[in-house]
Amino acid sequence: MKRKLLYIFLTFIFCITALTSYSQQQRFPKPEFSSGYEQPDVVTPEPRSGGFEYLDVAVLLVVLSLAAWFALRKRSRQGILWLSVFTLVYFGFYRNGCICSVGSFQNITLSFFDAGYSVSISTLLFFLLPLIFALFFGRVFCAGACPLGAIQDLLIVKPLSLPKWLNKTLGLIPYIYLALAVLFAATGTDFIVCRYDPFVGIFRMDAKFHMIVLGISFLLMGMFVARPYCRFLCPYGVLLSWMSRFSKWHLTITPSLCIKCKLCTTSCPFDAIDFPVNEKEIVQSGPGTKKFIVYAMLIPLWIVAGAFVGERSHLYLSRANQNVYLAELLISDPEIKNDPDNIDVQTFLESGKTMETLVEEAEVMRGQFKTGSMIAGGFIGLVIGLTLINTTVFRKRQDYVPHRGNCLSCGRCMDYCPVEK
Amino acid sequence: MKNKGITIFLIALAVIIVIIIVNEYLSDKPDKGKPNPYQYSVEEFKKIDPSLIRYKESVNFRIGFDNPAAIAIYNDTIYAAGDDIIKIIDLKGTLSGQINLPVSPHTLKVFNDKIFFAAGNRLFVYNMSDESTSEWEPLEELSFITAIAANANDIFIADAGNRRVVRYSPEGHLISVFDGKAEEGALHGFIIPSAYFDIEINDEGKLWIVNPGMHSLENYTFEGQLRSHWKHASMKTEGFSGCCNPAFFTFLSDGRFVTSEKGLVRIKTYKVSGEFEGVVAAPDKFIEDGHAPDIAADSKNNIYAMDFDKKVIRVFNPVD
Ligand code: SF4
Repeated sequence: MKRKLLYIFLTFIFCITALTSYSQQQRFPKPEFSSGYEQPDVVTPEPRSGGFEYLDVAVLLVVLSLAAWFALRKRSRQGILWLSVFTLVYFGFYRNGCICSVGSFQNITLSFFDAGYSVSISTLLFFLLPLIFALFFGRVFCAGACPLGAIQDLLIVKPLSLPKWLNKTLGLIPYIYLALAVLFAATGTDFIVCRYDPFVGIFRMDAKFHMIVLGISFLLMGMFVARPYCRFLCPYGVLLSWMSRFSKWHLTITPSLCIKCKLCTTSCPFDAIDFPVNEKEIVQSGPGTKKFIVYAMLIPLWIVAGAFVGERSHLYLSRANQNVYLAELLISDPEIKNDPDNIDVQTFLESGKTMETLVEEAEVMRGQFKTGSMIAGGFIGLVIGLTLINTTVFRKRQDYVPHRGNCLSCGRCMDYCPVEK
Repeated sequence: MKNKGITIFLIALAVIIVIIIVNEYLSDKPDKGKPNPYQYSVEEFKKIDPSLIRYKESVNFRIGFDNPAAIAIYNDTIYAAGDDIIKIIDLKGTLSGQINLPVSPHTLKVFNDKIFFAAGNRLFVYNMSDESTSEWEPLEELSFITAIAANANDIFIADAGNRRVVRYSPEGHLISVFDGKAEEGALHGFIIPSAYFDIEINDEGKLWIVNPGMHSLENYTFEGQLRSHWKHASMKTEGFSGCCNPAFFTFLSDGRFVTSEKGLVRIKTYKVSGEFEGVVAAPDKFIEDGHAPDIAADSKNNIYAMDFDKKVIRVFNPVD
């Protein structure tokens, strides 16, 4: 069976390579002016022509289906592992990490707020398919279809278990990142998830030096703190986690009944296994209900506090917007207009746009940032409030089960379970 | 403490990650920008080896146009168009006549006793014998006539707006249209990124057309079939560079080509075969970011360049 799988995998890679050379022949060659001038490389890879973008969607669909099948039906860690190798090669190194589901929510957000920006069907599908799969099968996208996850997963060496408080605290970062990414995308300022993607530079082999260092740092960290980007940064993981909590089916550690042998307890490198809850201990642990009521009452306060912090920081955040920053800069330092080396200022001057228009646009943008920052702050406040409430809630649990939101469906724990089907 | 070394290592990595992200966020701002690493400097290509310069500038004629538009030479007489006038000047620069026009022409061509001139999509003929002007059926709205070529039986106009050449009878009947594309789609057709699209018929009656986007000169039959071509896409002196060049061309009396380029403004000559021959006027003869001069040549191979920036006709004589 393993051989068969390998064969299918290699055949697929071969077909893809053949298709690539065909598609490259269709492209119009770059003009050669024989000047020795080095043309800058494009920041994002060239879009796929014609039906090729749908080929990517088809590949994603196949990989997601296989991941779900390996995780839920076949219960094969080996299968998921090979799938992530394929994903790393195809979506990572071959497709250069673009198109990528992780960053796609920014395109979707911008399309909602900018009437002049539309997303292609393939982008929409890249955004939706992993979420739909998560709603039915859990985070199988993280297990086998995400190149960012795959590169980290393959380098896990000695995963450490983090203290619960640290896990919870760091687990808030993706929510903050998500809120900021939506804010920046909605205002058309930047796609920060793509800009700070630590692995895309490694996939494309063309990143700036410090971004390569960033990627390598994450990978080195990932040797001991498994998949740090997925767990403590990935904003798309937040959406997947939400979906996965309500998933119709989900990977289980045991194929049958849990015999509480505890063999799986140390198997999860992501601290995603929930242990059985001893009801007696909960009762003895004190006034949970009281705490719950206090924390629940605090939620509106958290939201207001978050919105307040958002409002306070909107000026700073809005400076990430080119128009706002440029307007402030030109007002505070008019001399900069004479700096011929300042590309942004010179580009503005040559665009023919007047200073009044720039300032007007900057003011509108600031207003948008104010509203957006307050909403983002309120959202983060809500998340903090709910996280605190969560610490007071005990769910009755008799078996060792994967946490539906945090489990990446990698399948490692299944191999530890001695129970036969 | 268990795993102390690893913990320190992880904390160090976390610090590096935070520093890189914060630094990246703060650094990419207009006042912190570094000089453009991809700045395209053409300074080096403005330098011309003096041994390649085969012409010397002798005189300039002030033509008195606010908006000089085009130059043509026929029977060793200069016809200069600008504003809404055509001035007739002898080779020494003496004004011998002036024709007032109903429009401001963009291009002109003189053949026999007729002056063809065009403005936008409109084509006019001025008859020198009876001093009458007639207008032909205008082309479509998108048309923009950039050049006219004429012989006894055919008039061709280059329509940059529609990237095509239109052939007329001397009476103004439209005979045919061609776009330089081959039936099987093997040829690109005319690639005209900007309103520079020149056309000429040489003394042998051969129709030559610039395909500026391809940096080539193409010889077509009157029916629009490509017969031969030569091209030089290069930043070096012997080639044509930028999006679209040459902007203008003309013929010397022996069939050699004279070309005028924009961007890196310069005038050069090419042999009949298309091989680079020499430089008429180097880029340092023109103002920075100037326009490509329109050019014409007399029977002694002197070259007359209409300098749109200095608003003069500049005369270049062969050195040997
Ligand atoms: S499948 Fe889920 S619970 Fe099991 S090891 Fe992987 S991430 Fe942990």
